[in-house]
Amino acid sequence: MSAKLPVFDYLNCVSCGICAQACPISVLGMKKEGRSGKYRNVFPELVRAGCIGCGTCARSCPMDVICMEEQDRE
Amino acid sequence: MTSFMGHILRVDLSEGSTASVEIPPEVYEAVLTGKGLEAWYLYTHMPAGADPLGPENILSFAAGALCGTGAFLTGRWTVACKSPLTGGWGDANGGGLFAPAIKQCGYDAIFISGVSEKPVYLFCDGKNVEIRDASAYWGLDATEAENALHRDLDPVCRKKPCVACIGPSGEKLSLIAGICNEGGRIAARSGVGAVMGSKKLKAVVLAGAKPFPCADPETIKAMSKELGQKLLKMTLPSGLGAFIGMGGRMMGHLPSMPLDGSLTAYMFREWGTQANTPMAITSGDGPIKNWTGTPRDARLMPMDYNPEQINRIETVKYHCYSCPIGCGGRLNIRGRKYAEFPETHKPEYETIEAFGPLLMNRSLDSIYQLNELLNRAGMDCISAGNTVAWAIECYENGILTREQTDGLELTWGNTEAILTLVKRMIAREGFGDAIADGVKRASERFGGKEFAMHVGGQEPGMHDARNDPQLGIHFVAEPAPGKHTVGMGLAYGAMSLCDICSWAPPATLHPKSRDIEDTETMALVSKANACYTMLTDGAGGCYYGQMMGVHMWKLVEYLNAAEGWNYDGDHYMEIGERIQTLRQLFNIRQGFDPAAVKLPDRMQGIPPLSSGPLKGVKLRNREQVAAHWKAFGWDEKTGVPLPETVRRLGIDRLTEVPV
Repeated sequence: MSAKLPVFDYLNCVSCGICAQACPISVLGMKKEGRSGKYRNVFPELVRAGCIGCGTCARSCPMDVICMEEQDRE
Repeated sequence: MTSFMGHILRVDLSEGSTASVEIPPEVYEAVLTGKGLEAWYLYTHMPAGADPLGPENILSFAAGALCGTGAFLTGRWTVACKSPLTGGWGDANGGGLFAPAIKQCGYDAIFISGVSEKPVYLFCDGKNVEIRDASAYWGLDATEAENALHRDLDPVCRKKPCVACIGPSGEKLSLIAGICNEGGRIAARSGVGAVMGSKKLKAVVLAGAKPFPCADPETIKAMSKELGQKLLKMTLPSGLGAFIGMGGRMMGHLPSMPLDGSLTAYMFREWGTQANTPMAITSGDGPIKNWTGTPRDARLMPMDYNPEQINRIETVKYHCYSCPIGCGGRLNIRGRKYAEFPETHKPEYETIEAFGPLLMNRSLDSIYQLNELLNRAGMDCISAGNTVAWAIECYENGILTREQTDGLELTWGNTEAILTLVKRMIAREGFGDAIADGVKRASERFGGKEFAMHVGGQEPGMHDARNDPQLGIHFVAEPAPGKHTVGMGLAYGAMSLCDICSWAPPATLHPKSRDIEDTETMALVSKANACYTMLTDGAGGCYYGQMMGVHMWKLVEYLNAAEGWNYDGDHYMEIGERIQTLRQLFNIRQGFDPAAVKLPDRMQGIPPLSSGPLKGVKLRNREQVAAHWKAFGWDEKTGVPLPETVRRLGIDRLTEVPV
């Protein structure tokens, strides 16, 4: 079954966490560790099942690095 | 639409009651939210002579106006109350996620009065507000308590809760206790943790998911995106941290000058606030040996505190809500000397300075351990460090004996003794108990008042007024004395406030002596610094945003877009002036005497240092404070706001708004 879920452009993410805090059901968290240039940083990712595809995260992102795209829920 | 939630949550722990209260728009227009709303509410609602540790004291938690709007660097929350340390206005500032969580529950601020009979925590999920039993969490350290609350509440909350809580220091009413969130962040100053402990309030737990209102989110987004794209490109070459001390040595001899605010972003993104340490040691900014030493006579090397050493054990950076810089980090300290914990937050500059050069302690490993101990206990590292420094100087001068210190050999740089003493302060055992209420109380009991570094009862932040006389003005003239976050000459040089405020003097290249001698200009600089900081606090902004300057972090433009207003910088600076004046009026009502607050002799240059970058410096602090108060329209001798100033700022009308 497919649904619109957030997809992240990590290269242009500034790790501000606005999207994760905006998520009304906390399925998004600043848990993904990776590199932003030379820095080891945290990035948003879906941390638990149940994303309702509301798009609040994408609308809240000041950097426009979140897209809602049709994806397989699995 | 504006960015305000329009309501506050009022809690009375004695009665066990809660109420949502609507706030009229004219209050928001006058003081915004954050510290401004707190200043208005506490001034209008707290009876004169309230016992700081009694039911009449009001403890408040507030988010700023810009929080949640998409504006960057606006995730700070402010806690305010009557300070048990100073007897006047008290406040402290924290980061993480707690600020947006306040607004997501539907409130701009939470005001808590009364005293509970048994330990409780406040829970709110945006629909229900409950005062719940906290006996299962009382006695746990701040990190343990937060983890236990998450363990119990995360599975039953739709939105993951945010927790602010006290540790053992707050429970045991240590007057230098703070309030913690997210594993050891701490709103540390003014003894706010003791006030929370006195109310038997272990934690505030917020799990709301209400949307954030904002007049023009697209304009804010465009401004933030521009700033974010600049920051993404900002990196410094690795290894540069080893040379910061050399830069500091140069700065110690250079004149005052305008600076590029982006330097703040570069440095804090690379190293965090600890980048300051080697620079502070060599420039004269950072206190050494209880504010008496110089790098040379202390034989301290900036390399002892090289931030690259700390970066090497950093596992990952982290950010406060809405911050694109990310000055925080987690350190892997497993296996390091003294380490009882596997990891800790990257220690802030203030912690490193207070337990490093101030005590002549060269062991960074011990500072990691102290950092974690103090964060978990919820004890202010600045106050604790100044208190330990006093104890060491007293011991070295025979005022304290080994018997009195319970066998501790309190000598400069004795790492083991410092660690043991701090543990005893946290546990309130023996001599540790006797000094756990800060340096003023300790010196009143044991003597050595000349070694006790405090301003009106509050231990000063780790910046020396002899290096930056602006700091000396704020340490004394500020309604919450002793705080280093209200204004600095260095920050003023980077902020370009003259570009938004018609009366703010331009930052110029000038000899440092002018910072002492040109009282009139310096009074306008210190007034502008204080007004802009109050405005920032009302907006929920971060001081590092401030220090990036008005052209990079566009506070005025952000506020106009968030509220749908079209005001100029002068109007906003007047909001800052109003907030500051309300805080001072609170002090006057509570019987706090601003004129009795004094900078410690040695920080005024009495006697002057005989070597180092601060050699021969002697401040004219009292004169500068008088000029600062006069610039605010307060009585220059007493610090009391004049009736015409109260009228000009509309405070007389504002205090009659019924809520």
